[in-house]
Amino acid sequence: MQRDAMIKRLAALRILMFAYAAIWSAVRAPHLLDTTDLDPIRFDPVGPLWFLTAPLPDGLVLLLVLLTPAAAALAAVGWHYRASAPVAAFAFLMITTYRNSWGQLFHTENLASLQLIVLAIATVAGSQWSMDARRGSTRSQTSGDDGSWAVNSMAVLAVGTYFLAGVAKFRISGWDWVSGDTLLHQVLFDNVRKELLGDPSSPLAAWFVGQTWLMAPAAVASMILELGAPVALLHRRAGQLWALAAVGFHIGVLALMYIMFPYHLLALGVAPLLPVENLAPRLARTAVGRAWVRRSAAC
Amino acid sequence: MAEAPIYDGGMVSRLRRLAPALAAVVVLSPLLRAPHSDTYPLSTYPMFTANRGSIHDFVTVVGIDDTGVVVRLSPKLIAGTDEVVLASVTVERAVARGRAEGLCEAVAARTASPITEVVVRSETVDLVAHIVDGAPALAVVEHARCSVTP
Repeated sequence: MQRDAMIKRLAALRILMFAYAAIWSAVRAPHLLDTTDLDPIRFDPVGPLWFLTAPLPDGLVLLLVLLTPAAAALAAVGWHYRASAPVAAFAFLMITTYRNSWGQLFHTENLASLQLIVLAIATVAGSQWSMDARRGSTRSQTSGDDGSWAVNSMAVLAVGTYFLAGVAKFRISGWDWVSGDTLLHQVLFDNVRKELLGDPSSPLAAWFVGQTWLMAPAAVASMILELGAPVALLHRRAGQLWALAAVGFHIGVLALMYIMFPYHLLALGVAPLLPVENLAPRLARTAVGRAWVRRSAAC
Repeated sequence: MAEAPIYDGGMVSRLRRLAPALAAVVVLSPLLRAPHSDTYPLSTYPMFTANRGSIHDFVTVVGIDDTGVVVRLSPKLIAGTDEVVLASVTVERAVARGRAEGLCEAVAARTASPITEVVVRSETVDLVAHIVDGAPALAVVEHARCSVTP
């Protein structure tokens, strides 16, 4: 890929991923603040917060909850990117780690946390389609850095995540997993738990039970998707096909289990494998885009 | 005016080779841990891996309304969170630690009319029968019961 296209892909990833972090942390703010009311006996710090012996002070939690969407929004628009991006990536990692430190590990924001760290290190991500670029203060523009290392690293993180999930199934259940029995019981267990604890469950779960012929193929397909993930790194077209299959996998999980992996459903995790640099020109051709371009030109 | 480059050409070249390899090492490092030794953000992804079987015990908290009917309570009422998985873990741990009474009182304090009582209980459920036919629990064991103050 040419240098200009690669830098634009990285810039598009910056906009998409930091915008996601800003919106996710704003939408989840009430839940994140709920942690200040939880019984401290439930506190079980993990990962980067392993050293804590007690919950964070309420004021610090509030500060992180306010800081994360603000810093992520600034990084998304590329305003003082070399400062805003590391702050946003760090704050996002902290609030998601804190959310996971109450006795239950979620697996929805792991990939986002890691990819944001790569974006924060890749200062060249702020050199295109950014406030910094408009101000002419992007030092990486003049370097030989095309950001390909960052795009490729984020692709490796995405592929590695799915590969690990496939390996875990083999490590824990062996070949039994592909019989489809484990998948069926997982789908049922999750839906029953939701019903008993007053949460909406999937109306498709009952239908799924009746499709016994589907269990083994569905299990095999998900295993191929996960263990075959590294193939996505070998060829551009293979990467794009695998990325679309991964999104389809998460649509299936949402339909059958009502479990939403928003970052993955929106194809953000696999976006480094996709030509996201073409999104901006397409958006610019829309009515909103044309108005934005006119406004920018007038400034 | 543009500032000086951060990286020289040699460093960029090394970055191109080493950064993806480093990313692979980092993201695959959980393979060195036991599969259930999970953490964040470097997870072993043990969810959905084990066969849970078709009969399962769930520890729940339910309300009883003024007509005696069992009412399912939301994760927010049960555990002060909108995350159902976190609510489930909260109830399981409370019962395991002998704190069912305390949990019951806490939920009752968050609950209002028409709920008159709160019950912490284990329900043994046939997953297939429950999902397909809405079958009731095979067995129910009560851990704590408390009144809701009007």
